[in-house]
Amino acid sequence: MTFLAWSNSFRDKLINWVAGVPARVQTKLLVAFLTIVGLLIVLGAVSLQVLNGINYQTEELIKLQRKIAAYRQVQHDTTNQLYNISTALVLRDDRMLDTALRQLGQFGYDLDRLAFVAKDESELLARVQREYGEFINVVTRVVQLVRSGSVAEAQEVQLKQSVPLADRLERLTNQLVNIAEADMVAAIEATENAYRTSRTVVIAFAIGSILLALGLGYVISWSLIEPVKKIETRLGQIAAGEFTQRVDVANRDELGLLAADVNRTSEELGNLYRQLAAASRHKSEFLANTSHELRTPLNAILGYTELIQDDIYGPVPEKIREVLNRVQSNGRHLLGLINDVLDLSKIEAGQLTLSINDYSMKEVVQTVVTTTGSLAAAKKLNLKTVIEEGLPSGRGDERRITQALLNLVGNAIKFTETGEVGIKAAAANGAFQIAVVDTGPGIPLEHQQRIFDEFQQVDSSSTRKKGGTGLGLSISKKIIELHGGRIWVESEPGKGSTFRFTLPVQLNMGEKSA
Amino acid sequence: MSKRILVVEDQEDNRRIVRDLLTSVGFELVEATTGEEGVQQAKLHSPDLILMDIQMPVLDGYEATRQIKSMPELRHIPIIVVTSYAMSGDEAKAQSAGADAYVAKPFSPRELLSKIQSLLS
Repeated sequence: MTFLAWSNSFRDKLINWVAGVPARVQTKLLVAFLTIVGLLIVLGAVSLQVLNGINYQTEELIKLQRKIAAYRQVQHDTTNQLYNISTALVLRDDRMLDTALRQLGQFGYDLDRLAFVAKDESELLARVQREYGEFINVVTRVVQLVRSGSVAEAQEVQLKQSVPLADRLERLTNQLVNIAEADMVAAIEATENAYRTSRTVVIAFAIGSILLALGLGYVISWSLIEPVKKIETRLGQIAAGEFTQRVDVANRDELGLLAADVNRTSEELGNLYRQLAAASRHKSEFLANTSHELRTPLNAILGYTELIQDDIYGPVPEKIREVLNRVQSNGRHLLGLINDVLDLSKIEAGQLTLSINDYSMKEVVQTVVTTTGSLAAAKKLNLKTVIEEGLPSGRGDERRITQALLNLVGNAIKFTETGEVGIKAAAANGAFQIAVVDTGPGIPLEHQQRIFDEFQQVDSSSTRKKGGTGLGLSISKKIIELHGGRIWVESEPGKGSTFRFTLPVQLNMGEKSA
Repeated sequence: MSKRILVVEDQEDNRRIVRDLLTSVGFELVEATTGEEGVQQAKLHSPDLILMDIQMPVLDGYEATRQIKSMPELRHIPIIVVTSYAMSGDEAKAQSAGADAYVAKPFSPRELLSKIQSLLS
């Protein structure tokens, strides 16, 4: 496994682990922020600690420096003392002797300072003090001897006692200076080492903290983003009607709950969808069966009636023929009602499938005119057509389009008592523009929308008077809309009605379901 | 010589209407009540025309039509398929099964007669 693959798998494991922590998102974020704040505090404390250490080292260095200066002073004083006494002995100068004595006091001060500064070299220092005490005594004696005139004795003492003492003192102080200087060098080196170490510690700690904070942020972010993305994808699938999948997230927080809810919703929706599909299938099966069951006996009734009318079973008396005609027209009406109801149910259930073929709108209009011609003639209505020259060939369900136009023209004839019914067919902007114009009673504005709804006629009395189910317009509207067209009415009471619809010339689909 | 017509139809009333209609104008009738029987009767009697209902149990009208049209000795016999209303696509299916014409229920006996006569002439 390459390092990259390993780190990726490690990353995923870490993200999954964080996602799987059974805590609320809020808590996780709080813990992350607190961790980062804690790291900052610790970093600050470490830095302060390092600064303090450096400060202490500096102070130590200053002390050492002072100590060295003091040792040197002692050395210098001793030498000075010897020089002064020697000069005084040679010159026999009283002032020089005073200076020498005065300097002995200065010695005491220097030694006090030494006592303050020196700790490590206390033994050595004690010897210096002892020697120094002796030195002071010897010098004092030399001065007394000089003053009392015993110069030769003073010289004797000076040579035999002061000089060796001074030599010893010089060696001792030299030793002290050497020790202190060595200490100083060691201290400087130690300081440098300490500084380097501290710097490394601080930098390492800072880098570690930054990496940890970044890592923590990254892992927490992805432990939140990953499930949100998954849930988003899943919701998209649900919206597209895919109910079988599940969304799996490692989270045991609010996002985990959300994912569980999405899964439950999806399951419920899936169940509902299956139930609906089953119900819809049952409904369409029922419709198909009903359609067959209802029509079969009715077809037989209509068939026998026509055979009787055609004298197949012998000559029919005029009176009976008249009744037979009524049986036939009522039978046809019943069949029409059944067909309308079943058609509409099929459309509502989304079961109506258009069978798309090439057709001629001119032929559709002519079929409608042929079918309704006798009806118009019976009411002495003029049925006229205006078909634009060179109509393009259409593509759609010819039978359904014919049915839609037939309903409109049938209605127009049904509701018009005098005058004419006109059918106009033209094409513009890739759509057929069809109008059915009548000189009937017209439709009040408040009814013009409602008449396209199921079981609506201008008033319920007209249903009884004119017959029909009140489903024709509704069916026509749905057929036209299935083809991507639009239907509307322009009318004014007393001035007739014009039903217009547009129908795309080309329905570019193999099949289309409602 | 009178023309012989085979009626394949499971409904007694529909058979009777067609029988009464066609015998009244002098056709000879052979009847079958199932698709299988229709195919057998067609082989047995070689009728001049077959009237085939679509909705029949087991072997439906399409399949029976397809079988008859696949037999070289019977292929020439015109078949009129009787489709049920509102079953969109029936015409196309009837055509692809090899039917020569179709009438949709409810058919008017007069229209059926004229269609038969035009196919036989």
